[in-house]
Amino acid sequence: MVSWYQEPDRDRKNIIFSKVRLARNWNEYVFPSRLSDAEAKEMVGRLCEGLKDIGNQIGQECSLLDLSQAGELELKMLKERRVINSAILKKKAPMSMYLSEKEDVSVVFNGSDHIRIQVLKSGLHVGEAWQKASQLDDFINARFPYAFDEKYGYLTAFPTNVGTGMHAAVVVHLPSLSMGKKFPSMIADMGRFGVAVRGLYGEGRENYGAFYEISNQKTMGLTEQDIVDLVTRVALQLDEQETQVRNMTLKNHRLIREDEIYKSYGLLRYARRIGMKEAMSYLSQLMTGTADELIGFAEPCSVFQLILGIQNANLQNLSKKPLDKGELDAARAEYLRERLPELV
Amino acid sequence: MLCERCKIREANIQYTEVINGTRTEHHFCAQCARDLDFGQYSAIFDGEFPFAEFLSALLGGETPAQKQEKYQQIVCPTCGMTYEEFVKNSCFGCADCYGVFDVLIHDNIKQLQGSDCHKGKRPAYQGAAEAAQSGPQDGGEDGAAGETRSVEEQIRALDRKLKDALRKEEYETAAWCRDQIRALKEGAREDG
Repeated sequence: MVSWYQEPDRDRKNIIFSKVRLARNWNEYVFPSRLSDAEAKEMVGRLCEGLKDIGNQIGQECSLLDLSQAGELELKMLKERRVINSAILKKKAPMSMYLSEKEDVSVVFNGSDHIRIQVLKSGLHVGEAWQKASQLDDFINARFPYAFDEKYGYLTAFPTNVGTGMHAAVVVHLPSLSMGKKFPSMIADMGRFGVAVRGLYGEGRENYGAFYEISNQKTMGLTEQDIVDLVTRVALQLDEQETQVRNMTLKNHRLIREDEIYKSYGLLRYARRIGMKEAMSYLSQLMTGTADELIGFAEPCSVFQLILGIQNANLQNLSKKPLDKGELDAARAEYLRERLPELV
Repeated sequence: MLCERCKIREANIQYTEVINGTRTEHHFCAQCARDLDFGQYSAIFDGEFPFAEFLSALLGGETPAQKQEKYQQIVCPTCGMTYEEFVKNSCFGCADCYGVFDVLIHDNIKQLQGSDCHKGKRPAYQGAAEAAQSGPQDGGEDGAAGETRSVEEQIRALDRKLKDALRKEEYETAAWCRDQIRALKEGAREDG
């Protein structure tokens, strides 16, 4: 369902995907929070019109979506697929987005800032994502001069983005490492290196599936390449540590690990109702099983794609009618039953 | 100065309103201020809201109270954002806010970002695009818009120069810049 996503690299199997976002503002208008609806509409219209041929630059077909007219479900699905963030989801003002066919490149107009460029890439490819985003940035800048200051760099609505306006993130899967007692304090210590580590799924302190997003905390005083190197270094380090712990468990507790993974497969394959938290934890187990080659599918199947697929908005959309919680759990189980391949 | 409402007591509250770019100043005494409706600011005079404490906590409590009052009256001329609103939402209203609130936010940004100087990429086409905009234009509304922009540009450039001069402690240059900016701003207001 997400065509940009491919299975992780064999040698860095715990790294799921990389993301780069650039925040930019056109120097002709005040920032989105101060724009009237009429002004915002005019600006969004001019941006859409001026960047009609954006598809040529991206090298893919691009569609134009009017986010202010889009239904709630459609927006939630875009959020589940990491195309938009919750700030965009909640905003009601005129907003549009160019989205590439593979959904890996998106440009949102009039979100928190006038222009938000995002590039997603599966695996650890922050540098490539940055290159692609930067080229698109130059393409837009050639037509729309940016709000830029010699001292403060690219000016953004939030002081947390000023400077490079860049947010680079890598999503890693850390099921074993995150079980360690020291993990929470380790995450907290990451702040000292200038990176934030956040759970990707789950509410509050709970984390479903042990997916963590590593991203830069600071946007000024570093070059874009510094930011790329920083998050890449931390992601590699965490991947390395996770692999070490997993190899140890494989050596010492292989049977326990196999048991957990096959039980998870059985539950996912035969359940008739399954909650989000439960499904996420079994899929997380299954992911470690395929990564460590303890379990093999008869045909190719991406576990992360399944994780994207079982999110509420996607299930709602597939069913074509509103579902309550019980019905959602049933739809989730059905979705998994249909898509999980046989074992070899 | 006497209070403009009762004309008896000394005015010790200066109230500045900016509505659609028009600035009006009023001087009231504390008693009259309490009776008047200042919208969301009324609470300040009712004593419900520990306003000074709130701001001093945010600004590190080192700045004298008077200075804080001065700060809270700073309004960005481009988008109408007040310093108070900025503190509340931690969100800028426009690119010019960075210049307007520079002195106030400089330390906060440095604290937040660990640096106060951009090192990365620069917009490649900025120069060309700006030159095209402020270049000669063939009359009509576009011409007028181009003109105001170039005044704004001049102010912004002078502002940068002013800050630079202050940093280098070249006060004569700084004073010259300040006078130029004032003249340009007054000129713009008269035109408007």
